[in-house]
Amino acid sequence: MSDPLGLTTQALAAIGQARTDEELEKVEVEYLGRKSGHVSRLLSNIGSLPPAEKAALGKAANDAKRAIEAALAARRAELEAARLADLAETEAIDMTFPGPPLKRGHIHVLTQVRREIETVLESLGYKVELGPEVETEWYNFEALNIPAGHPAREAWDSFYFSPELLLRAHTSPVQIRAMQRIKEPPIYIINPGRAYRRDPPEATRLPYFSQVEGLAVDKGLTVGDLKGTLLYMIQSLYGRDRKVRVRPSYFPFTEPSFEFDVSCGICGGMGCKSCRHKGWLEVGGCGMVHPQVLRNGGIDPTRWNGYAWGFGIERMAMLKHDVDDIRLFYESDLRFLEQF
Amino acid sequence: MRISYEWLSDFVDLDGVTPKEAAEILTRQGIEVESLTIVDLSQIVIGKVLEQKPHPKSRNPLWIHQVDLGGRVEQIIAGAPNAVAGSIVPVALPGTAVPNGKVVKDMNIAGERAHGMLASAAELMLGDDHSGILVLDRGIPGDPLTTVIPSQAIMEAEVTSNRPDCMGHLGVARELGAGLQRPLKRDFMPAFTGGADPPGREMVKVTIDDPDLCSRYIGGVITGVKVGPSPDWMQRRLRAAGVRPINNIVDITNYVLLEYAQPLHAFDLALLSGPAIEVRRARANEKLLSLDGVVRDLTADMLVIADAKRPVALAGVIGGEDTAVSDETKDILLESANFNGPSVRQTSRALGLRTEASARFERALPPELALAGARRAASLIAELAGGKVHRDWADVYPRPQEPVRVNLRPALIDEVLGMHVPLEDSEAILKRLNFQVNVMADGEWDVLPPVFRLDVTIPEDLVEEVGRVYGYDKVPPTLPGRRHDSWTPLEPSIDRRLDQVREVLAGEGFTETWNPALVSGKELERLRIAAHAMRVENALSDDMDTLRTSLLPSLVHAVAVNRDRGRDEVRVYEIASAYLARVGEKNAQPDEPLRVAAVGTTDGSPDAGEKALRRLKSVLDGCVAALNGPASAYQRAAAELFHPGRCAAVVLDGRQLGYLGELHPTVTSGAGLEGRLVAFEIDLLPVLAASSVPRAQPLPRFPAVDRDLAVVVDESVTAGALLQGIKESGGDLLVHARAFDEYRGAQVPEGQKSIAFTLTFRSPERTLTDAEVDRVMAEIRLGLEKRHGARFRE
Ligand SMILES: [Zn+2]
Repeated sequence: MSDPLGLTTQALAAIGQARTDEELEKVEVEYLGRKSGHVSRLLSNIGSLPPAEKAALGKAANDAKRAIEAALAARRAELEAARLADLAETEAIDMTFPGPPLKRGHIHVLTQVRREIETVLESLGYKVELGPEVETEWYNFEALNIPAGHPAREAWDSFYFSPELLLRAHTSPVQIRAMQRIKEPPIYIINPGRAYRRDPPEATRLPYFSQVEGLAVDKGLTVGDLKGTLLYMIQSLYGRDRKVRVRPSYFPFTEPSFEFDVSCGICGGMGCKSCRHKGWLEVGGCGMVHPQVLRNGGIDPTRWNGYAWGFGIERMAMLKHDVDDIRLFYESDLRFLEQF
Repeated sequence: MRISYEWLSDFVDLDGVTPKEAAEILTRQGIEVESLTIVDLSQIVIGKVLEQKPHPKSRNPLWIHQVDLGGRVEQIIAGAPNAVAGSIVPVALPGTAVPNGKVVKDMNIAGERAHGMLASAAELMLGDDHSGILVLDRGIPGDPLTTVIPSQAIMEAEVTSNRPDCMGHLGVARELGAGLQRPLKRDFMPAFTGGADPPGREMVKVTIDDPDLCSRYIGGVITGVKVGPSPDWMQRRLRAAGVRPINNIVDITNYVLLEYAQPLHAFDLALLSGPAIEVRRARANEKLLSLDGVVRDLTADMLVIADAKRPVALAGVIGGEDTAVSDETKDILLESANFNGPSVRQTSRALGLRTEASARFERALPPELALAGARRAASLIAELAGGKVHRDWADVYPRPQEPVRVNLRPALIDEVLGMHVPLEDSEAILKRLNFQVNVMADGEWDVLPPVFRLDVTIPEDLVEEVGRVYGYDKVPPTLPGRRHDSWTPLEPSIDRRLDQVREVLAGEGFTETWNPALVSGKELERLRIAAHAMRVENALSDDMDTLRTSLLPSLVHAVAVNRDRGRDEVRVYEIASAYLARVGEKNAQPDEPLRVAAVGTTDGSPDAGEKALRRLKSVLDGCVAALNGPASAYQRAAAELFHPGRCAAVVLDGRQLGYLGELHPTVTSGAGLEGRLVAFEIDLLPVLAASSVPRAQPLPRFPAVDRDLAVVVDESVTAGALLQGIKESGGDLLVHARAFDEYRGAQVPEGQKSIAFTLTFRSPERTLTDAEVDRVMAEIRLGLEKRHGARFRE
């Protein structure tokens, strides 16, 4: 074969007939292969030709090569387009077939709720403070203005290791410790942790539970600031349509003292079955820190005042996720824990 | 406590105020009304029984009544025989519903027409008595029942422990009056009505042995009383409050308790041995037959009221049967005293007996209340039981109540509340609550709280009084404005940092659990991890009497719980503290190391255990790495709970953090579990302390060379030892070495094993040649040969 034009015609025909990339590959090797391809062989005798013919043959061979290359590229593009156009049929699979189960572990729902609460309060500048669970009588009671024989001690029936040492009945001792350590207000802290009371386990309470308490000590703090802080926290956690109400109550360590309620998310405060027709759900206790408690923390109550609040993490989680039995949190039943 | 709306209206005008509105005001002011029960009696009419005869045919005993309903007579059948002719009775006609929910229908009973029903107290929810028809003492046939008994509304309210004055209707009414801005109809201190001779203090001689436990004892004398049933209205109010009527004298003492919150007790004066009354501690072996019919063994820490011979009452808790008022009683000793709260609580607890009286004394009543209660009871007794109230009662008052004054800078109210309360409003609120307010020359207020408010002692207490009545709802929510020149920068809390660990564990399929810290001490002993355990002295039960010293038993229990519920493969972890007593240090707070522990299940074969353990080791390494801690080392160790051949101490920077291993087969089988459990438990705080912020390293500019090395050694040589040898001989060019396979079998002599390592070499300065790497490999081989007698497989 020594005619470049004929060679080109032949090659283009072969390219046109190729149905796959592999066939094209074969054609390419057959015609353009470096040593044994037809186009290369065309030039194998070029050395013996006169200069004018040499140049003409060279050019013709080059033209042939370019034409074949162009045809190859075009055919390849054609074949690729056809392949892509047919993907819907050629590579279709059953998309309803389920994936294999993922072995994902779950983070405990109380951890998740505690994390949300901490994140919201950290955004207001509160810092997490921790403290021991086995506490002294002084930090758990005396420092919080609950001396021995105080009638309010009934509410904090505690587990004792000795007359001096007990499992803390609330996380409030951490506040005293923090005031003593930080010494100079402003103090904005939250203290999450476990606490214990001698209540037999039932659906609404356990002898062990978790709290988040908060404490602010600063100049000129007001009940309004306490209400605003609680409202910011509740709306951040549950949505901006929620309302907060403070109701007078009594704790020895705050004055005035309040219970705080959140408007029912189901009826919006109108009253329904899930809020026992009250429109409000009890969440926790709060108040302005009693001057004696500030003094016990080493803070001068004539220069500073404060507010504090506390609530159960379990209670918040129950409200958020409609959990109706507090014991579920501590039973390690994966069927429950994997729901969150 | 149970509060009757109708009773409140004795003391404050409730015109135009519904029970629901009253309940809302009380709740807003701090007396939380938890439920409100309304008994609507407007549908019930009054009837007069004209004739009563037995039902002729019925098998059960029934009575047929002809009842005058004012202008018409209806036949009504009842099962109780007490509505005899002439009785005035409540009648529910067909079509109406009685308050307990029963709907009345026109009926025919064994051939006799029954048009409506005669109602019992229980059916009308006026008490618990359903034994007979409620017989009224007055009423006009045909009129609605509400002309003699008003509709009832009973509130169940929670009174906080600082407000014993609100354990009575008068105190609650005072709160309501303040909220409604209506005056209280009655003064706190009633007038004294006694005038008869001889003076009471000559008839009864009171001594108080222990003034710390009894700060006041008033012994009033009333003679010539006629004991009988108390009037209907009083019985009804007592029932509504949950108290069973007994006789007029006892009922009056209970009635005054429910009004004033002052417990009272009446003795039959004739049954007391002599005039001497002693308030003292019980003596050894003394007993008292109490009013509930139980013989009580008394101990020296119990306070009693005693006559010349014996204890006749347990102070503040319950009276004695032997000296109780009966139908024969003529003369009475009326006790109105003040007993020490903690002492009453202790006695009441020791006896397992909580009474209306003890519930009030426990909250520390003011001694002044004793006089008010005594006077009120005396005038009621004179009015309802006749009798002469003697003058000059015994009133031993060794610890008089100190008057309290509080100085208030009125601006404090606005400052604390964060809103403006007009001064005149604040003053009016305090006055309605019976505080005396004197405005002094400098503008400050000299405030005298009423004698029944021992809880008010500091200015902040007054702010609360104003705030709760003025309405906390009116306080606008604000956030504290900060103009601080100092602050503490926020740093991530420990728990947020530990979220990194949670993510690693979640990715491996471990689910977080929260388990109780109180566990069974016996179980810890059985597991031999009780050496540092702290035991609760007053545990609720054996299975929660000790603080756990390790998280692992809780997790093994969690595995068992889930196996019980049909789950085969379980992976659980917990992040929490263990509690380790400081042995030998009495009253020292324990060490509370924060730990992470994980437990996973696997099959029972040794190979499966080994494989799972290797995986768990990577998980633990991943946890430490996620906290940016340095890599930990593992050293073969022995520890309680763990398999003796498969346990390693986890060591970080030379400090032991905890253990990783298979749990001991007895731990697994002890929990009733099959298969093997792999586990770790480490202290977290040292890891957090050792963690450092990762610093970026320059990316390698030259390619790395990987080589594998199969080392044949005796069984006793560990991978760890070989790795250490490799690293020592490898020099700077060896950047990474890792064991990836272990082989025993045909190509390795008996008693030996082959461990395959992959080694990575790189220079920061140039591309390494094969010859360079070969030289280092030769060094490594030589080192292993010398130190461990190693040979090498190709
Ligand atoms: Zn609701």
